[in-house]
Amino acid sequence: MTFSLKDEDHTLGNALRYMIMKNPEVDYCGYSIPHPSEAKMNIRVQTTDRTSAIEVMDKGLQDLIDLCTVVVDAFKAEVSNGDFEYDEDAVWP
Amino acid sequence: MDLSGAPYGSLGTLSGPSITIQELKKDRISFILTETDLSVANSLRRVMIAEVPTIAIDMVEIETNTTVLADEFIAHRLGMIPIDSTDVERIKYTRDCTCSQYCSECSVELTLHVKCTEDRTKIVTSKDLVSNNPQFQPVVEDKNDQGILIVKLRKGHELKLKCIAKKGVAKEHAKWSPVSGVAFEYDPYNKLRHTHYWIEEDAGKEWPVSGNAKLEAEPNPDAPFDYNAKPDRFYIETETVGSLKPEDVVSMGMKTLLDKLGYVQMQLKEELASHQQDQTGWSY
Ligand SMILES: [Zn+2]
Repeated sequence: MTFSLKDEDHTLGNALRYMIMKNPEVDYCGYSIPHPSEAKMNIRVQTTDRTSAIEVMDKGLQDLIDLCTVVVDAFKAEVSNGDFEYDEDAVWP
Repeated sequence: MDLSGAPYGSLGTLSGPSITIQELKKDRISFILTETDLSVANSLRRVMIAEVPTIAIDMVEIETNTTVLADEFIAHRLGMIPIDSTDVERIKYTRDCTCSQYCSECSVELTLHVKCTEDRTKIVTSKDLVSNNPQFQPVVEDKNDQGILIVKLRKGHELKLKCIAKKGVAKEHAKWSPVSGVAFEYDPYNKLRHTHYWIEEDAGKEWPVSGNAKLEAEPNPDAPFDYNAKPDRFYIETETVGSLKPEDVVSMGMKTLLDKLGYVQMQLKEELASHQQDQTGWSY
């Protein structure tokens, strides 16, 4: 099944493709942007018969949300932890 | 991989991604993102550059311009001036607003009026812009910052205009980008051979390793090539233009990514619900 996502690009496409591909019930997942001046991204999913493309897509999105949540939490914890070189008033360079 | 278990972490590990901040300054942050895939790290890079919303001047109404620069030239320069966007979340996108053109909920008004009456050159800078909303002012680096030069005036020249600053993303116009650059590196020793160096004689001499190489073990030159290896350590440095704090650029970038995913997931559910009611659409 091919999903067509409007206004999306490589930012979502590549990460989502990776996440869906990690699912062992998925035989194939690939994405493409048919034309650079059309804000559209197609993502194709092919699964085993134990599941469906829609289920796998939903799970891929959820897994990526969970992953991003881990990254956000890790980043916020790291900022409040403050164990790094810090110089608020330093002017570039 | 257990589908119900932790789905993330590369190479089958279940530890999940982690972040180490190396340096945080007023206008830049450098950190290491580990235990994740190249695609995810690249999404973070892309989203910081092009999809973190800020405020920038979008419309300019010129009343008087007797300077040496053309109206559109000045309008373009005004658009590039960074505006403090710390409270960007309080401003709506005009497309989501109930007003027809712009209002105080979806825009900030800045006015400028400078006239040169003396015999020496007068400079017009971003400091001459007067905002109607104190939360959104042109960025000033410190007390010694004289502002960003817009145009120079000689005696008799005058510039009077009104600017409408709006919320937007750099996907539409680069003036909305919160960053001036994002440095992104992985595998500083090129163990994965993702880079092919152009050389005269010796790659080692002509392509010195980056500073990030200090943080990784030097590879054994006799080791066989590991064609299964995947990058999982990303060195990222973000430099802002001043409109947002560097740490906020990263967290807002991740939030933008999460919002996109949530939106697509919701659309998928809606599409599925409407399909179950009406079988005329797509089919399996
Ligand atoms: Zn409005």
